[in-house]
Amino acid sequence: MKARRMGAPAWIALVVLVLLGVVLSLSCGPMGFPDDWLTIRLRLPRIALALLAGSSLSVSGCLLQGLLRNELATPYTLGISAGASLAAGALILLQPMLPVIVFLGAGCAGALGASFAVWALAGAAGGSDAPRLLLAGVTVNLVGASLLLLIEYFSPASRLIEIIRWMMGDLAAVDATVPAFLTPFVAAGLLLCLPRSGTLNQLSMGDDLAASRGVRVGAERNALLLASSLLAGGTVGAVGPIGFVGLIVPHAMRRLTGSDNRLLLPASALGGMAVLLFADVLSRVVAAPAEIPIGVVMSLLGGPFFLVLLFKEGRRV
Amino acid sequence: MTVKGLSAGYRRSDVLSGITFSLDEGEVCAVIGPNGGGKSTLMRAILDLGTRRRGEVRISGSDTSRLTRIEIARLASFLPQEYDCDARLTVREMVLLGRHPHRSSWSMDSEEDIEIARECMELTGVTKLSDRLFCELSGGERRLVMLASALAQKPSILLLDEPAASLDFRNQIDVWRLLGRLGSLGVSVLASTHEIGIASRFTDRMLALAGGRCLAFGTPGEVCTGEILGEVFGIDLAVAPDGYGGFSVIPMPGDSRL
Repeated sequence: MKARRMGAPAWIALVVLVLLGVVLSLSCGPMGFPDDWLTIRLRLPRIALALLAGSSLSVSGCLLQGLLRNELATPYTLGISAGASLAAGALILLQPMLPVIVFLGAGCAGALGASFAVWALAGAAGGSDAPRLLLAGVTVNLVGASLLLLIEYFSPASRLIEIIRWMMGDLAAVDATVPAFLTPFVAAGLLLCLPRSGTLNQLSMGDDLAASRGVRVGAERNALLLASSLLAGGTVGAVGPIGFVGLIVPHAMRRLTGSDNRLLLPASALGGMAVLLFADVLSRVVAAPAEIPIGVVMSLLGGPFFLVLLFKEGRRV
Repeated sequence: MTVKGLSAGYRRSDVLSGITFSLDEGEVCAVIGPNGGGKSTLMRAILDLGTRRRGEVRISGSDTSRLTRIEIARLASFLPQEYDCDARLTVREMVLLGRHPHRSSWSMDSEEDIEIARECMELTGVTKLSDRLFCELSGGERRLVMLASALAQKPSILLLDEPAASLDFRNQIDVWRLLGRLGSLGVSVLASTHEIGIASRFTDRMLALAGGRCLAFGTPGEVCTGEILGEVFGIDLAVAPDGYGGFSVIPMPGDSRL
């Protein structure tokens, strides 16, 4: 079988898809098609959030899949998102009046803590290979979720609705504050990981081979983990945990670009933007004028979509 | 390449002690010895991959302890026994990965990279596979592709950890013949192996390791004697010339340890 690689038309199609999502997202909502600047200005921050969150969640998934050499690695399966949820969620419950940037910072700190905890746990268990890391990730994930439940249990009922709503993922932005604060986190994460895409290619071949080709394995892996934590942690702090983006987008893009991260990372960033824009439109249209939480939409769409990919793949091989 | 007084080990235990030998440009050397004798550790210690080490390693005249990883990578390439191959990459992309130390991490493949990859695929005879997916190849084909990728690194020495292990007889000969030919192109080769008979025909030097120490270093004729190989593997052996420049190793039936 001859393997095909993504050419210019596919890249243009991806960009067009993102633009289409932006236009669609601008024109849908409780107030119908926007005919004044006010409505547009209300919807722009939401679009910005979808673009930022979509690209950072899927790129973060790509990074972890490359580092673990396993396509099941995502911020979720590795407990990174649980760490971010725990840190940001605890703050929402305990100190709700803090400025937004603190939640983003807490999300990043939680994500960083969780990812290094996962690597340390796997290392203590005898090595940082994919199965050990995934097991450690599942453990951190469960412990993080339980701790958050514990904090919820002791919180006053009036605060619970807020955290439950946040845990379902929420792109609603009243003004430009949240996207403005999230931008530097996403920019820093992308600046850290995109120039390392060739290095990630080497790391995904195994530590010895990468080192023999001139990669300083430890330092580069930490830089990429930091990037992934900035991306996933900042996003979870801003919009809550939204699942499946980091799993299905890189999976789908890999069929276009192959595993070359120099192509896969930018393609996943675009793909993530498009997917989250369309999911957000769906979340507002399906039960209009009510909104379905974006996290629920992603899981309901993402689950079956992933199964289809899995079955198709299974039949081909 | 010159290795002087090289000792190496992992966290607690020492695996190698006092290894000294040198290879000239274009010499092909087989490292032989029992399992656990230190063959893999020797390769890893030369490149300073996760071992504690003492001693000196010079490649093309430079002391490797003074070089950065990327400078070492431009002098020596390495093929471990195990590497991950789940990635959805074509053979050409796999070979191009070997160009990493010669470019910045984000740059795409240059004309020069593509030309070098083409030459290397030509050399190892995998050109016709170049658009196939690496993970769909057979074990022998994969080995030849990985060799091409190691060559694309343009090293002056190639370190190979059992390059022909688990290949069928024909593929083993293909790999060793190729290694022999690399020597004549000016690339030095250090390859560990258990196929003493085949290796002795295509190599210039042999290094016998047992218990972490060098028991013999010399031409295949000097190393392949019943006495030395018997000591290396701890059994009674006879060695006979195979009539074509190599040697046959014959285990003796009377050995009480067998």
